[in-house]
Amino acid sequence: MPGAFEGETVTRRRFMVGVANGAGALAAAAFTLPALAFAVGPVFSHEQWTWQPIGPSSDFPNDNFVTRVIQIQQGPLGAAGNVNNTLAYVRTRNPAIDTEPEDQYNHWIALSSRCMHLGCPVRWTPAAARFICPCHGGVYDIRGMVAGGPPVRPLDRFYTRFNHATGLVEVGPRYSVNSELRRFSPRYPGEPLDGIGQYLYPRQFAQPKPPPGVSQKK
Amino acid sequence: MPRLPAPPLPKGLRPRPKPPGDDNGAGVADTLDPLEAGVTAVDWIDERTSLTPVGRWLLFRKVPRGVNWYYTLGSATLFAFLNQAVTGVFLAMYYRPDASGGAYESVRYITTDAFLGQFVRGMHKWGASVMIILIFLHMGRVFFFGAYKYPRELTWIIGVVLLILTLAMGFTGYLLPLDQRAYWATVVGVNINAGGPFIGPYLSNFLFGGADFGATTLSRFYAIHMLIIPGAIVALIGAHLYLVTKLGITAPPWLKAEPEKQFQPETDV
Amino acid sequence: MNQAEKEAYLREYSILKNEGKPFFPYAVAKDAVMALIVMLVIIFLALLFGAELGPKANPTTTTYVPRPDWYFFFLFEVLRVMRKVPDFTPMATIGVPTICMILLFLLPFYDRSPERRIERRPIALATALFAIGAMAYLTFSGANTGSPNTVDLKPPSNFTAQQKATFTKGELVVGQSGCLACHQIGDNGNNGPGPVLTTIASKVPPQQIASTLLNPTPPMPSFKGLRQQYPQKFQTLVAFLSMLH
Repeated sequence: MPGAFEGETVTRRRFMVGVANGAGALAAAAFTLPALAFAVGPVFSHEQWTWQPIGPSSDFPNDNFVTRVIQIQQGPLGAAGNVNNTLAYVRTRNPAIDTEPEDQYNHWIALSSRCMHLGCPVRWTPAAARFICPCHGGVYDIRGMVAGGPPVRPLDRFYTRFNHATGLVEVGPRYSVNSELRRFSPRYPGEPLDGIGQYLYPRQFAQPKPPPGVSQKK
Repeated sequence: MPRLPAPPLPKGLRPRPKPPGDDNGAGVADTLDPLEAGVTAVDWIDERTSLTPVGRWLLFRKVPRGVNWYYTLGSATLFAFLNQAVTGVFLAMYYRPDASGGAYESVRYITTDAFLGQFVRGMHKWGASVMIILIFLHMGRVFFFGAYKYPRELTWIIGVVLLILTLAMGFTGYLLPLDQRAYWATVVGVNINAGGPFIGPYLSNFLFGGADFGATTLSRFYAIHMLIIPGAIVALIGAHLYLVTKLGITAPPWLKAEPEKQFQPETDV
Repeated sequence: MNQAEKEAYLREYSILKNEGKPFFPYAVAKDAVMALIVMLVIIFLALLFGAELGPKANPTTTTYVPRPDWYFFFLFEVLRVMRKVPDFTPMATIGVPTICMILLFLLPFYDRSPERRIERRPIALATALFAIGAMAYLTFSGANTGSPNTVDLKPPSNFTAQQKATFTKGELVVGQSGCLACHQIGDNGNNGPGPVLTTIASKVPPQQIASTLLNPTPPMPSFKGLRQQYPQKFQTLVAFLSMLH
């Protein structure tokens, strides 16, 4: 090869082509990759949460629901008016109907108002003792178990606890349950958690961590 | 070692032969007719850019015999897009992407108080529906005329991407007024999207900017609706139009070229 | 298309193109007229319907019934059809549109025949007509679907004014009580798991309707609570159901 020293395999032209492509790609990556990572970041960072007081335990009967507004996202950006709120239906645990194992986080049953079909707001209908979804007619019983319609799993729940210092019931992060009321890390509506569903829809990194000492399936 | 000859100089740089007469080209500006200043300016731009042949190529190309009203659907879609772009840009002058109440208030202001606000917002809203209808009609025309076939495959593919982007515009724009309809349609839409196995939930996390609808969701949708997708649409429309011009508009499929008949009268039954 | 067909097409096209007219002003004139029509339609719609703004977004609502915009009615309807097999819903809502888009995207690569006239492309014609028909049907029925929480029936014309009033009140009670989640009445509600109630009164006497409401077969809930708290509503409910002949 003319102009090449002995043992040289890279010609001047190939070297220049490499520099043009490599430096160009690096320069382009230098602004696209950080920007992309910046936009995708929230997918990988855990949402923050705190215990929120919802009133004394005498507020909550064990055969009917009381509604409470909960702030669901308390990230570094803070609350965004009422679009960060969500609604929980709360009652006291009733051993006669609530057969799932009791622990320190479910003395009060706090059900999320999001239908597990597509996330429409369900309404508690005391006359029928059912939750009913206005979108496609999903029906849930008093435990939040699916009683009819298209939902694929029971209503999501919130961890609850009693704060002895203040004497108030407090609500923690949300979790999903399968048809045996086994706790899972929160999923989107429409994602079944029985059988293959829990593998088709894996745990999301953005969901809040459960409170300490909870066995929550990922 | 033999040397390569020097490359030929571009025309403008070659030494000019001396013009007849001997004033060295001086005084040309003095003899300029003031009435022709505009023409001169256009000439100057044209000389620097060489746009005239491009314009001729774009406008005075021939379109095949038999081009009819169905062929206007594409340009009508483009026109609807221009309407969306202009009304959208000016709506952005009043809109505040603030999820804690500012967004709703600004849209309320546009709708009820701003001069012509209701009308411009109406044009944007209904323009979106009209554009979606037109893009489907245009696609139907291309499909029924077989216009996606050789050599226009790439034009079709770009068109399909444009269709998807337009639907994405409809979805992201729907949230911006942040009323009940907007909020629930977005929540349900993102939840439907999360139903895609494996990556669906993460894609929904990306759209929400977190695990749930929150402070950043609205600004995310706004950025996608205002900047990302329109930029992509403009670029792809450019490519689409370039290909349409380069490859030519299809003739209606039922037309046959005349000379073929003259040459082979027996085979053409 | 093989090489010969491609060349034949290009030759044919160049002849047709040469026989044509310049793009400007002949085609542009049509385009401009069409653009004018499009703008007139948009302005007409904007002036006639304007742009409404609903109540402010409220995630804690328990009464709002979400409805999509018209161009998503087909998806809404697909969801309604798919509610019997909820585990396959993502296939219908994500899978079918994704597959359709991929098929559209790749269309020029699997449809390589040189034939362009639609009447000689029977598969393409049938597919297109099927797709258009399906979309139109789904959009139409999606637009005409009521919420599963409201009954929207016309009281029979031979009713007295008082009967009509009871009928309308009964519709409200049925909507509030969530009957439609499991029962179908006319075009409203879910067909199952409970029986269709459209003509329940001709099958079951009023007495039995009341006793079924109080002591139903599971999984139907008992309406004893309703009778204790709101006896008036319970009476209306029984009266309304007894009118469904």
